[in-house]
Amino acid sequence: MEQTENPGRERILARIRAALRKPAPMHVASGSQRTVFAPVTDVLARFEKECAGNHTELIIAPDADAAGAAVASVLASLPAGEIFVQDAPALRRMASAWPQDAKFHWSNAALAGGEGPAETSQATITLAETLVAQTGSVFVSAACGGRGASVVAPVHIVVASVDQLVPDLDAAFARLNERGVPAKNSFLCLITGSSRTSDIEKIMVLGAHGPRRLVVVLAHRWE
Amino acid sequence: MKKVAMFIPCFVDQLTPEVGLDMARVLHRIGFQTEFPSAQTCCGQPAFNSGYWPDARPLAEHFVRVFHGAEAVVCPSGSCATMVRNFYPELLAGTPLFDEAVNLGRRVFEFSEFLVNVAKVSDVGASFPHRVAYHDACHALRELHLKREPRELLRHVRGIEFVEMPYSEDCCGFGGTFATKFSMISSAMGDTKAGNAEASGAEYLTSTDPSCLLHIDGILRRRKSAVRTIHLAGILAQTADSAGRASGESR
Amino acid sequence: MSSAAKEFLRNAAIKSADLAHRQTLRRNIDHYDAAIERARPRFLDWQAGRQRCHEIKWEAINHLDRYLLEFEERVRARGGHVFWAETAEDARRYITDLAARNGVRTIVKSKSMVGEEVHLTAALEEKGFRVLDTDLGEFIVQLRHEPPYHIVTPAMHLTRAQIAALFKEKLGGDGGDDPQKLVAVARRVLRKDFFSAEMGITGVNFLVADSGMVAITTNEGNDRLGTALPRIHVAITGIEKIVPRLADLALFWPMLANSGTGQSVTCYNSLIGGPRAPGELDGPEEFHVVLLDNGRSELLADAEQRDVLHCIRCGACLNVCPVFRTIGGHTYGATYSGPIGSVLMPHLLDGKKFDHLPFASSLCGACTDACPVKIDLHHHLLHERRNIVGAGEQPWSERMAFKLWRWMMMSAGRFEFLGWAGRAALRLAYGLGLEGSPLDPLRPWTKVHRAPRIPKRSFRALWKEQHGAD
Repeated sequence: MEQTENPGRERILARIRAALRKPAPMHVASGSQRTVFAPVTDVLARFEKECAGNHTELIIAPDADAAGAAVASVLASLPAGEIFVQDAPALRRMASAWPQDAKFHWSNAALAGGEGPAETSQATITLAETLVAQTGSVFVSAACGGRGASVVAPVHIVVASVDQLVPDLDAAFARLNERGVPAKNSFLCLITGSSRTSDIEKIMVLGAHGPRRLVVVLAHRWE
Repeated sequence: MKKVAMFIPCFVDQLTPEVGLDMARVLHRIGFQTEFPSAQTCCGQPAFNSGYWPDARPLAEHFVRVFHGAEAVVCPSGSCATMVRNFYPELLAGTPLFDEAVNLGRRVFEFSEFLVNVAKVSDVGASFPHRVAYHDACHALRELHLKREPRELLRHVRGIEFVEMPYSEDCCGFGGTFATKFSMISSAMGDTKAGNAEASGAEYLTSTDPSCLLHIDGILRRRKSAVRTIHLAGILAQTADSAGRASGESR
Repeated sequence: MSSAAKEFLRNAAIKSADLAHRQTLRRNIDHYDAAIERARPRFLDWQAGRQRCHEIKWEAINHLDRYLLEFEERVRARGGHVFWAETAEDARRYITDLAARNGVRTIVKSKSMVGEEVHLTAALEEKGFRVLDTDLGEFIVQLRHEPPYHIVTPAMHLTRAQIAALFKEKLGGDGGDDPQKLVAVARRVLRKDFFSAEMGITGVNFLVADSGMVAITTNEGNDRLGTALPRIHVAITGIEKIVPRLADLALFWPMLANSGTGQSVTCYNSLIGGPRAPGELDGPEEFHVVLLDNGRSELLADAEQRDVLHCIRCGACLNVCPVFRTIGGHTYGATYSGPIGSVLMPHLLDGKKFDHLPFASSLCGACTDACPVKIDLHHHLLHERRNIVGAGEQPWSERMAFKLWRWMMMSAGRFEFLGWAGRAALRLAYGLGLEGSPLDPLRPWTKVHRAPRIPKRSFRALWKEQHGAD
């Protein structure tokens, strides 16, 4: 869009600049330097507690093999249907442990001309950028199998390792910024639990438009 | 001999004079001399709250002059004390009386605030053997930050059974001219407050603010409720000798 | 009195008398209060948090041009478009033209108060586009042909039974009112539209300047589907939604969720920085951000009330407001209701018709205490009253009444005399049994109260008697 097609832009900016010539007071109060959130000391325990509170199913596995087996058992409990998987080396390696008769749709195959997960997918499996103990959350990006991967299917399985877990949101953003994740992705999302709504009588109901189940498989050791 | 000036709100003067007399009685009992500067009229809050600041300003200036020199000014109304302390600086900004108004604001106290925080007295020798609930008037609660003080005083009243009413911090709906301009909203809010007072099982509802009590009382009586209202000063003025002679009662 | 004001009074009277409606609101807000009580202890120091939020928004709003330009530059660098809309009409026209140019037939829309403000859905439907409101609460009120009732919970005035009946009538639901089943019906019905729509429209919770990203927050995930599947994504926002840095969201996301719904953070906090980037698997081909002014730059110029623009639309002030709880959201007749609506609406373009709203409050201050960014809401109601009176808009009779009142109060002698005369008249009138009749001098009061007992002597008369003149 050319600038000339948006004459309102200059007028709005001019009004803003004129308005800001008058200074407005800030509420002066002590306290903004005080700590807002208690520091998270036992990161894994906090993550476990928060996941229990927000209905994230957390499975902790000692190593990648056990993690693969955990994913397999979740898959075995699902009705038949397409399973969309982020095409990452770690997930490719794990796949040998998964039910061989399942219909896996690897994300890179989609790039060749298809889309993300099909509307009728039963589950998606992705990695994550980081996990946050403070809120029991998973931070994903477009690189984690695309935008649809973490929302289209009724079950979303995240495979991660314990050293991806950070104490709080400050640390999560610091980590994302350090690694240039916002610059490299058009999409990021902090996911905290399964899709829900409180629009009926302000009572919380799980499973609105996003996944009804969010499963996090967390491996202590990652090969 | 300690001396305080009494700031008697205009509607207390005209409609609920017993509140002022009871406040004086309590102050005397704990050893204070009281004076009533009779040139006082109104702090200007009705005009201020309705947006008529040019009409409120001369009243504020009059008030500041009337109470010039008073060491402490005590008022049986949270909203009126709030007007002087919290809003006179804004109303009189840029006028010659600004500094004096700010100064005066530091020396104006709501009644329970004065007793507990300034005179440092929580037991005023009162006796009131009834079940009593307390309504947290909005200005007293949110502008003057008084919640503990009235309860502290009530706790020390002999024979009292204090009960917390449900939603005690919810506004009663008076709001000054709001009560007449938006009377159906105001009375619905008052009705909710009255229902909560009844639900508490209290015989009496009390508060720091006579304006709230006028409003709630008018609604309680319309509901033919068993609950009666009484100003905090009315309870504190009662002693074992004066039991039965409830001068501060609303009916 | 304006017709909007008359309408307000009429609806307020109806809703104030509607006990069932008040009870529904009370019950829903009790749920909210309980959630807040459980969730507030997550903060070691919530007061420090809101002070910090106030400072960050102060920085953003008081350097608004700089941060908006930074945001725009970064969005455009990634292939996104930014359109600056001065008026509601500009915003509507941009979006309808965009949809027409691209052969759009179906649009999925997730929650946007700014979309409501510019009446976007109606404008699109008029031009023949099919629009689905996918936020469950908005979906419900859309079926009822009603505007949203509340900033965060659009259908909070309805019981589950009412929603069940609505779904049975409009969607072929079975009439069962289990909330779980009702949500499943909505999911099933809307899913087809997500997958076939050509355009997704969202609101924006925060514009992030340093990353050129829009932050969108939902619990349901409808915004996620609407920004993953359709070919075009349009995000519509007010110009004031700016925060300077991505890292600022580490505080704003929890503050918004805590005050909005009593959650640690909302389920989905998305960040969109552009259309699908090269190498990405999916996502829209086009990304447009519409920045709406519609009077916000005027409010910016009011240095006293500028912090009204700090609002993060959490809805807490509505929940704690005793007036909102009595009359409900629709009575305000405005996009934004409750305390924030009452301070904001008079400032938006065509806001004059809302000049009665700042007066429709008892000034209790609960809103100011609840605000996570420390907007001085109830004091701004006072400021706006002063401004409206100063503009000479109040009726002549009221202005005269206050002049008369002031004249009386400037002299203790006049006050004493007129007070005595007034009380004498009232005692006479009530002695004659006129209380509550059309001749009752206190009729505006006794419409809804028993008259107060009228004392014979004033305080000052009694005091003079007991203590002599001072």
